[in-house]
Amino acid sequence: MTPMIKTSTVTKTVNTSEGSLQILQPISFEVKAGESVAIIGASGSGKSTLLGLLAGLDEVTSGEIYLDGEALHNMDEEQRAVLRGSKVGFIFQSFMLVQSLTALENVMLPAEISGLDNPKKLAMDILEQVGLAHRAHHFPNQLSGGEQQRVAIARAFITSPKILFADEPTGNLDAKNSGKIEELLFELNRNTGTTLVLVTHDTELAEHCDRQLTMHAGELTETTSASTSPSEVS
Amino acid sequence: MSMTFNLAWRLFKHEARRGELTIILLAIVLSVGAVLSLSLFSERLQGALKSRSAAFIAADAQLRSDKPIDESWLVKAKAEDLNTAKQVSTRSMVFKDDDMSLVDLRAVNEHYPLKGMVGVAEVPFGQKKDTNTLPERGEAWVQSRLFQSLKLQVGDKIDIGDARVTVTRVLADIPDAGFSVFNTDPIVLMRMEDLPSANITGPGSRARYISYFAGEASDVKSYSSWLLPQLNDDLHSWRTVQDDESAIGRSVARAERYFLLASLLAIVLAAVSIAVAAQRYAQRHFDPVAIMKTLGATKQTIRKVYLIQILLITLLGILIGLVVGFIGQHVVVSLVADRVDVSLNVWHWRPVIIAIATGATCAILFSLYPLLQLFSVPPLRVLRKDLDASLRSRSIQFVASGGAIFALMWMYSQDLKISAILFASGAALVIGLLVATYFLIAIGRKLGSGSIGPWQLAWARIKRRAMDNSVQLISFSITIMLLLVVLVMRNDMVSQWRAQLPQGTPNYFLTNITPDIQKRLDRHFSDNSVDINEFFPVTRGRFVSVNGEGVNTEVSKEEESSNEGRRGLGREANLTWGNSLQKENEIIEGVWHGELDSDYDKGWYPVSVEEGVAERLDIKMGDMLNFNVGSEIVKTKVTSLRKVNWQTMQPNFFFVIHPEAMAAFSPTYITSFYLPTDRKDELTKLLKPFASVTMFDVDARINQLRDIVEQVSVAVEFILVLVLMAGSLVLIAQVQASMDERRQEIAILRTLGAKGSLIRKSVVFEFLIIGTVAGFMAALANELSLYLLQTNVFQMSATLHVEYWFVAPAVGALVVGVLGAIGCWRLLTLNTGELLRKMV
Repeated sequence: MTPMIKTSTVTKTVNTSEGSLQILQPISFEVKAGESVAIIGASGSGKSTLLGLLAGLDEVTSGEIYLDGEALHNMDEEQRAVLRGSKVGFIFQSFMLVQSLTALENVMLPAEISGLDNPKKLAMDILEQVGLAHRAHHFPNQLSGGEQQRVAIARAFITSPKILFADEPTGNLDAKNSGKIEELLFELNRNTGTTLVLVTHDTELAEHCDRQLTMHAGELTETTSASTSPSEVS
Repeated sequence: MSMTFNLAWRLFKHEARRGELTIILLAIVLSVGAVLSLSLFSERLQGALKSRSAAFIAADAQLRSDKPIDESWLVKAKAEDLNTAKQVSTRSMVFKDDDMSLVDLRAVNEHYPLKGMVGVAEVPFGQKKDTNTLPERGEAWVQSRLFQSLKLQVGDKIDIGDARVTVTRVLADIPDAGFSVFNTDPIVLMRMEDLPSANITGPGSRARYISYFAGEASDVKSYSSWLLPQLNDDLHSWRTVQDDESAIGRSVARAERYFLLASLLAIVLAAVSIAVAAQRYAQRHFDPVAIMKTLGATKQTIRKVYLIQILLITLLGILIGLVVGFIGQHVVVSLVADRVDVSLNVWHWRPVIIAIATGATCAILFSLYPLLQLFSVPPLRVLRKDLDASLRSRSIQFVASGGAIFALMWMYSQDLKISAILFASGAALVIGLLVATYFLIAIGRKLGSGSIGPWQLAWARIKRRAMDNSVQLISFSITIMLLLVVLVMRNDMVSQWRAQLPQGTPNYFLTNITPDIQKRLDRHFSDNSVDINEFFPVTRGRFVSVNGEGVNTEVSKEEESSNEGRRGLGREANLTWGNSLQKENEIIEGVWHGELDSDYDKGWYPVSVEEGVAERLDIKMGDMLNFNVGSEIVKTKVTSLRKVNWQTMQPNFFFVIHPEAMAAFSPTYITSFYLPTDRKDELTKLLKPFASVTMFDVDARINQLRDIVEQVSVAVEFILVLVLMAGSLVLIAQVQASMDERRQEIAILRTLGAKGSLIRKSVVFEFLIIGTVAGFMAALANELSLYLLQTNVFQMSATLHVEYWFVAPAVGALVVGVLGAIGCWRLLTLNTGELLRKMV
């Protein structure tokens, strides 16, 4: 079976005023469809950089990335955008809602961009699922942090993405809200069979995932694996 | 398309409701409103001034001819909806019993004058009153001087050629009388129907045939384009209001240029405010764009969404701006209505089109760079907030904004020169400011280090955001400079106008004063408490040769007086002599003969020549000029060239000869005096003992001039207020935009426990520094622009404005500092939590 994500010797080098700096050492690993993977590591370890590359938000310096069999590393920005629209969902630490759109309109946004039929109904249904139908017409600044993140989760799932990338999804929330969001995220992940890649430094959250990969100074190592062998990471 | 439109409409709707679009919308409303109200008002005012100046040619256009004018041309004019009138003018002798006098005879038809009014008086030299009537057939209205010279009474009969007519009224003035102290004969106004019986316009006479035309500007224009190709330059001359070269004409032309300038500057101000607002708008949308891109939106989708949004904002801005502008000009017109005769009845389309074009061009071209920046925001920004637009080159911005400003200026002014001057000084200012900013930052580096106080924070910020600050500084400076240009131009122009006609400007001229009565006249006037001015000796001389080469002096009278306020070189020139240089005369080449050693070669005498006539007759320094005075030839050599201010109401001379040259000739004198209007009745008593002296009454003309200057000044002041308002709004927009950038820093400082007073002071200091530098740079740039404008566009003498070098930095610091403090105060009233939330 084709892995949902496959990376092969992916590196990332950036140019700084003091010369070039390799922030990702060659990384190779695979993630199967429906799997949930946590990438953990300290600040500055390179985990967000890796997420950006996997999601097609940034370009690799060298190496290959395949998403659902499609060669991301060969695509230009426009092609990557189309791929993101059709196969990828996102959840961010700072929610990243469009402040001038209501909760409902924020959720509709990816559906509209991908050209899905009846985006409003889809959005209302999913807002119902996350328990925010009654807040559909509120703007982000009228919602609490937890509610905003639930809107973001609804937005991420509306296009039924094959892969969901989450960057510190509970990083801005208190313990009570964090628990709710975790629950919701994994529930939707299970129900929809989405592949989940989650970047966090919250080990408790990471433990909910099938696998945990640890980033340290740009290098990736497999920490735990519930169902796969460590050999898949090099 | 419907998805992108829906999204754009949704964003537009919500953002408008939440006040996110207020600044950019206001900027567009301001630009459209300011341009519309200014240009609509200035168009109306120009209309009013034009009709004033039309009164000086008694029509909107005149056709003058040495031969009777083809009747079919008048038929065509009527077919083009133009009103027409006719006049035949000639110099002729008028007899009363045994007395005779040369007069300027004006025979008119019943439609004369098309513009302006004929003025009459109850008694000779009495108060002028306008009338709508004309002399009946068999009647003549004659000017006061003829009453004086022919000892006339109303009801007397005079002979003009073979016709005998009755003098029925004292003629005070006719609209197109022209103005010249020298050589003008009293005007006799009569009906054209009486002319054939006079038999004075036969072959060989020097009659001039004038046709007058008045109507809609477009009709006059289309008629003139039909007529002009058919005219014979040797025979015909076509004059319109615009060709009015008189002092009044020049003042009006200068005022028109000022309105144009003020409107141009309003456009630039509006453009700057749109640029500032568009930049802010784009920066606020970096996150939404990154989010949409992350969610799969292609560049094309993003482009469409934001272009539609900008179009919606522009459309709304233009609509509101048109309403605001229309109301604005109504308010201004009603404010000046009692002082300026501005009509609201005519609708002008040009200002509306220009206002719409300005709004659209500004909104689109000035938001081009911010939009391109917006489109280039990488999706990775969702993970890394520090990433902003990848488009960094500002050259696109400079080209787009510069091009837009220049195109607008040119389109609006249709004057490449005025646009180029403003644009060049703007560009010089931008470069100068960039250099100055970096220099300032280098100096400030030391001040900014050390313990943290408000000054240190202010400098640290300026240092850190060098590029942003230069851009901000440039926009502040440009705004202040433009306000200064408009203000100083207004002050200079109005004061120069008023200086031409100070209180006590002579309103009567006396000529033909013989040496034997000069002293008596002087004494008589002082006995009656009337100050009389300097007496200038005058003698008529024929200008015969330059360096031995004969000069054609057969210049027609029309050509002589074609330049009101001046005399050309007719058969005879008025020569004066003296050792002291007259007021408002300036030697521009050579040495004034009063200062020359007296041991010059006795074969010739020094002469000083006015620069204009020197240029016309190709007279150079050192040329030998011969004049025929009486029966003698006076040999002179040009030892100086003079610049003369022709706009002053004083006798001026083309040639001033060394007194020794003229010692043998007996001169007459010319002088002038001022008599307040309420003492006008004393004129007859004053002049009674001096029957041979001729008096010219220019009181009415001076009052008319002063009236126009006052009206134009009032209008200019209102335009200044409008531009000041526009400028202040731009400054507010700029400060507000820059407050957004400071929000994050203020939030952090607040979080760290900084006192409100420290933050407030640091922001105020920062704005004070920026305001001072901007004010100083603006004062320098203002000086450069004013020099270029005054010398090249307004034909005024350029002056230094050192006071503004101090005023501008002070006002800049004050205004920008206060605006900064207000903006900052608003931010400080929010609590830290709100501030942090607003940053997201």
